[in-house]
Amino acid sequence: MKEIICSSPFFGITVSIAAYSIGVMVNRKTRLALFNPLLVSYLIIIPLLLLFDIPLEWYDRGGDIINMFLSPATAVLAITIYRQRFLIKEHLAAVIAGTAAGSICSILLVLFLCRLFALPGTVTASLIPKSITTPLAIAVCDSLGGIQALTVLAVIVTGITGSIIAPPLIKLFRIRSEIAQGLAIGAASHAVGTSKAVEMGDVQGALSSVSLVMSGVITVLISIIFFS
Amino acid sequence: MPFCLSRFLPPIIAMLLLLLFLFTGLLKIDHIKEKSDFLLSNMAFFFIPAGVKVVEHLELVSSIWLPFLIIVIVSTAAVLLVTAAAVTLVMKAGERRKTK
Repeated sequence: MKEIICSSPFFGITVSIAAYSIGVMVNRKTRLALFNPLLVSYLIIIPLLLLFDIPLEWYDRGGDIINMFLSPATAVLAITIYRQRFLIKEHLAAVIAGTAAGSICSILLVLFLCRLFALPGTVTASLIPKSITTPLAIAVCDSLGGIQALTVLAVIVTGITGSIIAPPLIKLFRIRSEIAQGLAIGAASHAVGTSKAVEMGDVQGALSSVSLVMSGVITVLISIIFFS
Repeated sequence: MPFCLSRFLPPIIAMLLLLLFLFTGLLKIDHIKEKSDFLLSNMAFFFIPAGVKVVEHLELVSSIWLPFLIIVIVSTAAVLLVTAAAVTLVMKAGERRKTK
């Protein structure tokens, strides 16, 4: 009976949609960054699979279908750039300098810290793209030989961390320029942070979304050039 | 080739093509607005299966969770500050050039 229900592709899809809907609901009710919809989904799905002893292979029959949408979801980021084209043109130097500095800092710091903690190479490879948006991070992780799931986890935890620590850090270090605030949040904590930047203001939100795409592309380029 | 370009390229090429079509006016934003806004606002949903695969690595995660958290928190704060500093510097330089 369990196999009939759980090994159908509909199982993975239904469970994912249900868990995500609960996640969105919890997030809206509590308005806490910690209750990120994606994180809540994992806290529902993973214990469910373990508790009922459902093999990942069964879940993935539906999961792989959802996975197919990852590439189109990445491509759609182009629209963000197109919509903000005038803003990018106006602050081109700042956008490029900021996102390049952020991406390089992220990669070098992760490499350094992983060596410091003597983590295995596969873990390092999984953590290098942690500051960029998930579909691009998965691509970088795959090509560096990392573990996809660990990358996704690192990306989500990074996003949540960023949206929690960004406002106090901005106050503490007196980052007054709205442009710097937006670009910094996007570069450090991709789409999850961007939702926080949108709350702070229109300028911050727009530049944060530009920054998340640019940092992603720059990190991909750096990985192609230096790690191939 | 250890570095597999084929995994990188499809989404990036698609993104560049879309950008090209939009800028040349071959594609109007109104044509794709509805579908793309749906994808953009529900993007997180499509990452669920990729992350659920972590059940296969629970042992690894529980053995590295502390360095993992430290790396994530430290580097997120550092990237935020470095980016803000770089932007502030460039904008100050730009203003100085304008006033001269």
